[in-house]
Amino acid sequence: GVCHSGSSASISPYPVASSSVTPTLTMSPFATSMNLLYCLLSPHLSNFASKVLICRNYKGDVDMSEIDHFMPLLMQHEEEGLLCPVMSHGNVHFMWIKHSNLYLVATTNKNSNASLVYAFLYKLVEVFTEYFKELEEESIQDNFVVVYELLDELMDFGFPQTTDSKILQEYITQEGAKLEVAKSKVPTTVTNAVSWRSEGIKYKKNEVFIDVIESINVLVNANGSVMSSDIVGSIKLKTMLSGMPELRLGLNDRVLFGLTGRDKGKTVMMEDVKFHQCVRLSRFESDRTISFIPPDGESELMSYRINTHVKPLIWIESVIEKFSHSRVEIMVKAKGQFKKQSVANNVEVRVPVPSDADSPKFKTSTGNAKYVPEKNLVVWTIKSFPGGKEFLMRAHFGLPSVENEEAESKPPITVKFEIPYFTVSGIQVRYMKIIEKSGYQALPWVRYITQSGDYQLRTNV
Amino acid sequence: MPYLGGEETVRELRRALSNPNVQSDPLRYRNTILKVIRTMSQGVDVSGLFSEMVKACATVDVVQKKLVYVFLCSYATLNPELSLLVINTLRKDCQDPNPMVRSLALRNMTNLRLPSLVEYVEQPLTAGLRDRAACVRRVAVLGWAKLHNLHPSSEIDAAVVNELYSLLRDPDPVVMVNCLRALEEILKEEGGIAINKPITHHLLNRLKECDIWGQSEVLRVLQRYRPQSEDELFDILSLLDSFLVSPHPPVMAATLSLFLSISSNLPVISLAALERVSGPLLAACGSGSREMRFAAVCHIQLLLRSVPGLLGPHYKRFFCGYAEPAYIKERKMQVLVELVNDENVAMILDELKGYCTDVNTDTAQAAISAIGRIGRSYSDRCLQILTGLLGLKQDHITSAVVQTMRDLVWVCPQCSDTVCLALDGCEETLQDIQGRQALLWLLGVYGERISTAPYTLEVLIDRVRSEASLGIKMELLTATMRLFLCRPAETQDMLGRLLHYCIEEETDMCVRDQALLYYRLLHCGIEKTREVLQGRRSDPSLGVLIGRPAKPVSQWARCFNTLEPLSQGAVEAESDSRGSPEHVTYNSKPNADLSDTLSCSHIEEVHSGAEKIEEVDCAWIEECVRCPAVLHCSPQSLQAAMQLVNIQTLAFTPQQMLPWRVYLYTHTQRSHSMDAPNTTLILGELLCTGEANQKSGVKKGTADSEAGAEGKEDQLVRKEMDATADRLRVSEDGQEEEEGIKVILNQQPKDDDALRQFLTILITVLNTLSSEKD
Repeated sequence: GVCHSGSSASISPYPVASSSVTPTLTMSPFATSMNLLYCLLSPHLSNFASKVLICRNYKGDVDMSEIDHFMPLLMQHEEEGLLCPVMSHGNVHFMWIKHSNLYLVATTNKNSNASLVYAFLYKLVEVFTEYFKELEEESIQDNFVVVYELLDELMDFGFPQTTDSKILQEYITQEGAKLEVAKSKVPTTVTNAVSWRSEGIKYKKNEVFIDVIESINVLVNANGSVMSSDIVGSIKLKTMLSGMPELRLGLNDRVLFGLTGRDKGKTVMMEDVKFHQCVRLSRFESDRTISFIPPDGESELMSYRINTHVKPLIWIESVIEKFSHSRVEIMVKAKGQFKKQSVANNVEVRVPVPSDADSPKFKTSTGNAKYVPEKNLVVWTIKSFPGGKEFLMRAHFGLPSVENEEAESKPPITVKFEIPYFTVSGIQVRYMKIIEKSGYQALPWVRYITQSGDYQLRTNV
Repeated sequence: MPYLGGEETVRELRRALSNPNVQSDPLRYRNTILKVIRTMSQGVDVSGLFSEMVKACATVDVVQKKLVYVFLCSYATLNPELSLLVINTLRKDCQDPNPMVRSLALRNMTNLRLPSLVEYVEQPLTAGLRDRAACVRRVAVLGWAKLHNLHPSSEIDAAVVNELYSLLRDPDPVVMVNCLRALEEILKEEGGIAINKPITHHLLNRLKECDIWGQSEVLRVLQRYRPQSEDELFDILSLLDSFLVSPHPPVMAATLSLFLSISSNLPVISLAALERVSGPLLAACGSGSREMRFAAVCHIQLLLRSVPGLLGPHYKRFFCGYAEPAYIKERKMQVLVELVNDENVAMILDELKGYCTDVNTDTAQAAISAIGRIGRSYSDRCLQILTGLLGLKQDHITSAVVQTMRDLVWVCPQCSDTVCLALDGCEETLQDIQGRQALLWLLGVYGERISTAPYTLEVLIDRVRSEASLGIKMELLTATMRLFLCRPAETQDMLGRLLHYCIEEETDMCVRDQALLYYRLLHCGIEKTREVLQGRRSDPSLGVLIGRPAKPVSQWARCFNTLEPLSQGAVEAESDSRGSPEHVTYNSKPNADLSDTLSCSHIEEVHSGAEKIEEVDCAWIEECVRCPAVLHCSPQSLQAAMQLVNIQTLAFTPQQMLPWRVYLYTHTQRSHSMDAPNTTLILGELLCTGEANQKSGVKKGTADSEAGAEGKEDQLVRKEMDATADRLRVSEDGQEEEEGIKVILNQQPKDDDALRQFLTILITVLNTLSSEKD
C-alpha cells in the first residue's frame, strides 16, 4: 500500500452531493409519482393528429395540454433517429410504451424511477387486457366506464394502489356497467389476509390443471454457431377448487434453484425464479417446498430462466443464392434434433426474401410453402415433424432487372414450433398435494409443452 | 359530430338530463350521463351541464356516482360555487354504510382540487383516517397529501401529522405505504418524513407484505436512514439481501440504491452488492418489454463505470436482436465496447461487423464507431474491418469509417500507415460534412504519405466557390496549409488560389480571418508556420492505457434508479467522440471529453461546452519535485498508486525514456461549493527532461512555448480549440533542477484550495513511490 485511503478522504474528489445533474432533470427526493396518464391512439399516416382516448390527471400540477407536445416530439425524434422511451419537453418528461395502435404515456416532472413507471404502464396493459381480452381503441371506447373506474383504483395521486387484476375484478366488473342498483358487496380481498383469493368459492368437481411451458430462445450465427440460447419456463395453473385449499408442489430433484447458490453438477440451474405472490417464500427458502393457497382460475405460479447451451431443437441449414437482376434460389433443410418419440407440431419456418422478388416457385419434401409478399417471407408449414427427421424445401424467385437501389436489411430465418409432452430442461412435477379443511378429493392434471420463443438463425444473404 | 355539433349536443344532453322521465328510469339516466362523459373525452366543452350533473350525483347507483365524479372533478375549478352543492352529497356519502361508497366520496372530495372546500373536507378526512375499512383509510391518508398540495404554504395540523405517523403501523400495507407517501409530501419543507431507527426497523420488517410499488417506495425512503452501528448496518443488509436479487427490476434497483447509500463508506460492500445484482440486471436486459430492457442496459452502463470487468463473461447477452429498436442497439454496443477482452474480442468484433450494414444508418454508424473504440486496444483487427467496410462504397458507412479512423489515428498514431492506404478513393463516396471534414483532416496531417492528397485537395479547391459548409472551408484551409509544409512543390499553386479566394471573395468572417492568419503566418517564415501547424500532433511514444479506470460508486450512486441514466447525454462522453481529435470541426461538441456534465440534449451540450472555455475560470500552477526514482517505476505501479488517491492516468511514456511524461487528471470537490458545478477538473502533466537532454530540452521547450502562444492566437480565431490542452504545451520552460520532476497542473473551474490540496497529495504519492524505489 503506497497511499492510504486517509489521504483520499481528505481530498474527497468525488462529492457525495450529486455533481452531475442535468439542467432539465430536477433532482428531487420525492421521485416516484406520476402526474398524468394518457392513452393515445396512434396517428393515421394521412393526418398527423393523434387522438387522446383517455386522460387522467392524478396530481393536477401539470397542464393537461402537455400531451400536445408528445406526438410532434415523437415524430421529431423518430426522424432524427433518436427515438427513446423517455422524451422531455421543458421540465416535463414523457415516458411511453406502445401497445398495438395505442400509446400509453405517463408524464412526470420529477426525476422519476424509470423502471417503476414502465412497470406500471405494462401493468396497466396487463389489467386492461385481462378485462377486455384485447386492448385497442374499440375496447376502450366500449368500456369507457370500466376504464375510468380502473384508472381510479390503479392509481391515486400518482401512486400505484391496487394493481392486482384478480382483486380488481371482484369489485369492478363489466357487468357493473349493466345496471345493478346499490351493488354494495364489499370485496373481502381488499382487506383480506389472503388478498388473491376470496372466501366461499365453490366447485362441483375439484380440479387443478398444471401447465409446464418452456420457450426456447436461440440465436444462431450465419456460420452455424449458436451465439446464445436460453430457456424461459413457466408453470401455469388453472385452479378450480372450492374453499381455501392448501397446495404443495413437488418438482424433480434435478431442478436446483439459482437462489441457493449450490451447484451440483448435472442439475438444472434456474435463474430469475419468479413466484406468484401466493407462494410462501420463507417456506421455499428454508426447505425448497413450494406451498401456497392458489388464486382462483388461471394464474402463473412461477417462471424461471435457464441460461444454458441448448441444442437447437429444430436445426436449419440454408443456402440462399441471389443472382442479381435475375433470380433468388433458396434451399432450406430442417432437422428435428429431439427424441424420436416426440413430435413437433405446427412447425413454421419463415425465410426472408428480397422485397422486390416475384413469381415464386416451391418444392417441399413435406408440408407446404407459401409466399407472404407483405412480409417478404416464405412460410414453410409442417403440421407434424417427428424427431430425428430431416425435410427439405426449395424456393425460386424472380428478381426484376432494375434492381432496388435501397440497402436491404438482412432479417434472420425464424422458426415456430410446439413439442408436447416434453421439456428441454427436464423439469417435472413429482406431486401436487391438495389439502382443504372440508377434506374433498381433488385431481391435479399436468401437461408439458416446449415451444419456440425468440428462435432466430441468421443468413448470409 | 363532436366539434361541429358541440353546442347542439350539449343542449340535447341538458334536455335529456332534466327530463323527469329519464330521471325516473335509472338505466336511461345512467346512459345519458355516460353520453356526457363520452362527449367530454372527445374534447367537447360540456361544462355547461354542471348543475344538472350535480343533481345526478344524488343516487344509490355507485357506477353512476363514479361517472358523475369524473365529470365534476374535471370541471370543478370552473364552477367553484356550484361545487359547494356537491359537497353535501359527498359528505353524506362519507357516512354511507358501504365502504366502497365512503372511499369513493372521500377520494373525489379531495380530487375536486378546490381550495375553498378545504374546510368542509378536513372533518371527513380526519374521520376517514379512523375508518374500519382499509380502502377508506388508504384514500384518507393520501387525501391529506392532496390537501397539502392545494395549499403548499399552509401547515397541516400537527395532530394529523402525528396520526399519519401512527398509521405507519396500520395492518394494511397499502395504508402504511400511503402514509409514507403522504408524509413525504406534507413534510417536504422539512426534508420529508423523519426516518429514525424504530420506523426503519418497522418498515423493513413489513417490507415483504408490500407489493412491488410499496416495496420500491419504502426502499427509496429508507435511503435517508443512516444506521447507528456497523452491526445494525449489516443486519439491515442481510435482511435486504433477498430483495437485491428480486426478479422485479424496480425492486431490485431500489434495493441496490439503498445498499449503495447506506454503505457508502464501505466500498467493499458496495462492490459485493454490484456483483450480486448483476444477475437480476442481466435478466432485466432480456425482459420482454423493450423499455425495461433499455432501462436495464442504461443502468448496467453505470455499474460498468465502477466495475469494468463485471459482466465480461456475459457479453453475448448484449448482442442485438434483429428487431430491437435502435436506441437499445446503440446502448448495447456501448456496453460491448466496455466488455471487450482478449478472449471475446474476435466474437464481439464479428458481431459488431454485422451491425455496420444495418439498414438504420444511426445503428450502422454507432457500430462503426464502436469498432473504432475497440481499435484503440486491438487496432489491427479493427482496421481490417474498417478498411473492408470502405469497399461497400455506401456514403454513410464511408463517412462513419473515415471519422472513426481519424479518431483512432489521433489516439494510436501507429495505425496511420494502414489508414493512409485505406483512404484512397474515399472522397468519391463521401457526401456529408462530418465525413469530408474528417478526410480533410487526415489528408492534412498525413498528406506526405498519401500520394493522391494534392489532387483530392485540388478538386475541392476548384469547387470552393460552391461549397456551402463553413466547416469544410476552414478544414480545407488548414489541410492545404499542412500539405504545403510537406509537399510545397505540388501544393503551392493551389494554396495560393485558395488563400486568394478566401481573402478576396469569401464573405464569411471566420473563413476570411483564418485565411488572413495563415497568410500572415507564411510571411513569418516557413519554420514559424511549421511550429504552429504541426505543433499539435499526438505523441507516438505515449502508450495508451487499455480499459477505462474504475470510478468510485459514489459518482453515480445518486442517479441510479432515476430517469437520468436513460437520457442520451448521460452516456460517457468518451464513448461518443464524433468530433475531430483537435476539436476542429464546427459541428463537434467542443470540450466533450472534458465535461462530465450530463445533458439531456445535444444542443444543451454544445452550449454548456462553449461556456466552459472561459479563460478566467482556469487555474494553473507549476511545481518541481525531487523524486528521481519515480522514473524507474513501472507504469502499472504508478497507475495503481495514483488510483488509490483517485487520480487517473491518461497516458505515459515508457519507463526510463526521456523526456519522460505522464498525463493525469482528477475531479475534486470544490471547497466552496454553493454554486454549481461543484466539482473541478484538474489536468496534470509530470515531466522529466533528464540531465542529458536538458539543454536541448530547454531549447525545445522554448520553441514549444512560442508555438503554444501562436496556437493561442489561432485559437481565438477558431474559437473552439481546447484551452486546457494548449496550456499543457506552454508549460515547458527548461531550468528545472537536475533530475527533478516538473508538475504542471491546470484546473477548471478555478479553486485554489482544492488545487493546493491536490498538489500536496500528488507530491506525497511521488515521494512515496520514489522512496520505495530507493
